[in-house]
Amino acid sequence: GRGGARGGAKVVVVCSLVVLMPYKSNCLKEAFPRHSGVFVARGKEDMLLTKNLTPGESVYGEKRITIDTPASSATGDGNAVTTKTEYRVWNPFRSKLAAGILGGLENIYIKPGAKVLYLGAASGTSVSHVADIVGPTGIVFAVEFSHRSGRDLINMATHRTNVIPIIEDARHPLRYRMLVSMVDVIFADVAQPDQARIVGLNAHMYLKEKGGVLISIKANCIDSTAAPEEVFAREVQKMREEKIKPKEQLTLGKYKFSL
Amino acid sequence: MGAIDFLLHESSVGYSIFQLVHQPDTIGNRLREVQHASQDLSKFGKIIKLVSFAPFQGAAQALANANDVSEGILSDYLRSLLEMNLPKPNKKAIVLGVADKNLAGSIKAAFPFIECETGDTSEVVQDLLRGIRLHAPKLLKQLQEGDVERAQLGLGHAYSRAKVKFSVQKNDNHII
Repeated sequence: GRGGARGGAKVVVVCSLVVLMPYKSNCLKEAFPRHSGVFVARGKEDMLLTKNLTPGESVYGEKRITIDTPASSATGDGNAVTTKTEYRVWNPFRSKLAAGILGGLENIYIKPGAKVLYLGAASGTSVSHVADIVGPTGIVFAVEFSHRSGRDLINMATHRTNVIPIIEDARHPLRYRMLVSMVDVIFADVAQPDQARIVGLNAHMYLKEKGGVLISIKANCIDSTAAPEEVFAREVQKMREEKIKPKEQLTLGKYKFSL
Repeated sequence: MGAIDFLLHESSVGYSIFQLVHQPDTIGNRLREVQHASQDLSKFGKIIKLVSFAPFQGAAQALANANDVSEGILSDYLRSLLEMNLPKPNKKAIVLGVADKNLAGSIKAAFPFIECETGDTSEVVQDLLRGIRLHAPKLLKQLQEGDVERAQLGLGHAYSRAKVKFSVQKNDNHII
């Protein structure tokens, strides 16, 4: 087979269920089970969180919450120093990845230290949360073709040095070959009829062996005349032909995205 | 198709030329062998050898070359690197593996004695270039840890700011 996409995972997202964890009154935040770098706040309503890479700043007006973490008792001098950690609220109605996580995705491949190729970065709102997750040791290569969104993306990236903005057409991955390394995971939200091919081309060039692929499929954008289930099945078949093996698939029906 | 002699790798820090030193015996085995070896730097390092690394001298030069590379144009800098480092053969043309067929065309036009194979025409080239991309920070020995990423960050901003017609120097003149 060709390089790249051997052994990837794939995802078609939709969502219905929130995993509940034991409530702890003294600590709002818990790591989301399964996904390192993703957290949940327990309150009147549960909220998905990522740890803010640039404390004090919101990217798109999202809420921030600060949580006191008691210092580990290693010092033992009686001075209970608490450290403050700031998190940003991640709205599953605005981000398909957040919806996918709440929907119960088993593995998102995006984790602290990971290199992510993000196709269809748009204005960078979801990208900023991915940047939070991978942290200072990870990198997000954020590809967006629209100049209008691209300006916002570039501005967001000036505050987050683990995001490399790439204003270029994801259909031609060779054009940005000087800007990209081999990556652990490709996330694609391009909503184009030929998106399976776009993901395949990028995977052949930039995805490490056994890397992960997450692709969001909006049935309407592929074929508005066919039943969504049929469109999903066809896209999965196309991904197989690109040597990307499906691992999990879920529907994000509960969350309506404005596209 | 015959063996690959050299490979061109374009990165944020500069151009590099590698020589294929170990030619696998048979065509049939070649692809599997390359795919297997490219996972492991110690094995991959026995297949290819760095001939020359030409770092960019500054952000402006890097940006100009990134623009040329994305359009498949042979820049003067790359042309002189190829001229200095690729041997002129007597009989048989030498074969250079490059990522992009447009750049391959430009190289062929400037250097008649070079044959090009691309990722499209040869899976071996594709996998060798993947291996180089994976191990580049280690293969280019004069680099420090994190150099490639730092250069990607600066170049990514410069390249993208130019695309959206932001000032490359980050003085934003809003057009809209």
